[in-house]
Parts: sequence; C-alpha cells; structure tokens
Amino acid sequence: MSAPEPTHPLAAAARGHHGATGGAALHVTFPAREIVQVMLRRGQDNALAAAMRAAFGIDPPGPGATATGSGVTAIWVQPGQWLLTAPRSSEGALATQAARAFVGLAAVADQSHGRTTIALSGAAAREVLSRGCRLDLHQAAFGPGRAANTPIAQIGCLVHQTDATPCFELTVFSTLADPFLHWLIEAAAPLGVDIA
Amino acid sequence: MLMIPCPHCGARDEVEFTYRGDATVVRPAADAGIEAFHDYLYLRRNPRGWQVEWWQHNGGCRAFLKVLRHTVTHEVRGVVTATEALEVPPA
Repeated sequence: MSAPEPTHPLAAAARGHHGATGGAALHVTFPAREIVQVMLRRGQDNALAAAMRAAFGIDPPGPGATATGSGVTAIWVQPGQWLLTAPRSSEGALATQAARAFVGLAAVADQSHGRTTIALSGAAAREVLSRGCRLDLHQAAFGPGRAANTPIAQIGCLVHQTDATPCFELTVFSTLADPFLHWLIEAAAPLGVDIA
Repeated sequence: MLMIPCPHCGARDEVEFTYRGDATVVRPAADAGIEAFHDYLYLRRNPRGWQVEWWQHNGGCRAFLKVLRHTVTHEVRGVVTATEALEVPPA
C-alpha cells in the first residue's frame, strides 16, 4: 500500500476574486514552506546560538524578532523556542539539517504539515488584519522583520511582517487554516480580495 | 478590559491570557499533614487591594507570568516572569 499523497490544507479553497468589485485591495497566496520547531534544551543557550550561526548564519532572534540567513528565517515564538522556515524544496530537508546541527542542544520537530502559511499583501493588509487582531500593526509599532503570536478571530496565529509593502505571513495550525481563511475572506470582502 | 504588559511580548489584551490564581501560595512539605494540605488546596486570602496572581499568556508566548493587580481598580502595576519576585505595596 502506498502512502497517500500529501495535499495542501487549502487545496480546496475557492480561488479568484471575492467581495467588492473594481480591483482587489488584498492579495492572498499560500506559499509552501518548510516549518521546523526548535526547542532549546536547558542551559544550552550559547551553544545553540553558536550552532545556529554555524549552520544557518543567523543568531537566534529575541522576543518579537526574526532573523533571516541563507534562505532560512528564524522566528521567535516563546522563550527558548523558535520556528525555522524556508521555501519548501525536498520533503523534510530543513528538519534534517536542523536536527543534525542541534544535536543535544535543542529538540527539533518538523511542523511543515502541521502549520500552514497564508501570505497577505496589498494596501488593505493592515486594515483587514486589524478587524480580527488586537496587535498594533502601525509602522511605528510593528514593521518588516517583526513577528508576534496572537489570536486572530480566536485562532492562534503567528503574524510575521516580511516587508514594508506591507506583506504579512500568517502561520496557523493546518487544521484551522480553512476556518481562518473563511474569516479572512469575510473580513476582506468589503474591500475586495484575490485568492491566488 | 485589562491590558497586561507581558515582559516578552509587550502590552497585550486580557483575552490572550488565562487567569491561574493566587501566586503567593506555597506548597507545604510532603510530611506537613492533612491540615496544611487542606489549607494549601482550598484557602485563599481574597484581599481587597493588591494581589500577586498567575496569568498564563497562552495566546502569545505561553509563559506563566506573575501580575500585581489591584482587585478593586484592576490597575496592573507590575508583571514579571515566574522566577522573579514582585513586591506587594500596602493596600
């Protein structure tokens, strides 16, 4: 018996234009990401920082921050825990690389199928997010390279601003990606949204 | 609505947190007897004034935090991580 083909959790989502006619103020894409959870072992802070520098060329970012190295972004999620993300290439490649680099320093778990990333861009990105998110996303308070965990529409969500356009990447549990997208379309409908 | 300044995440809304009770309760020694354990489990001070409480930031960094809150005005005067101590001002 062969293993079932993995499918994207939002493969069945309705693509195309939703809501207000006459141009879309929000563009939504579903970038395929490798997502790897890294949990520090007690007392190994400095050793993990050195290992991350050696393997990925970045220091573990502090609270609310991210660090981007050679194709890999580390996102702080809680004390002693980070998510490493990279564009998806071969299955499990990033998790294998991280597990080898952090032997004895951190617990590494591949979350590529456990989490789903939804990317928002366009002029209305901040306004749509603010309809369900209590974070202050004004450029004076948030900005490119910042990240925060917060419930959006009562679904736990990692908000990561990737550039000043503004473009945001939202990472949610895959099982909640569909209801989350439903909320996103409802929230963006008055302004118009394109799902690619 | 409370705004709780999380030491990791900054000021966040109360809905991101879960209240986990009085942070001043200390577990008695294993041989302290049933009376001591009864008090540890059931008796709380319920002060009118300042109280140190556990709040878990489960919608954000998931850390357990000690929060100094006034039970009448809801003013939050101090938030520290679990291993730090908070000084309670006189009521």
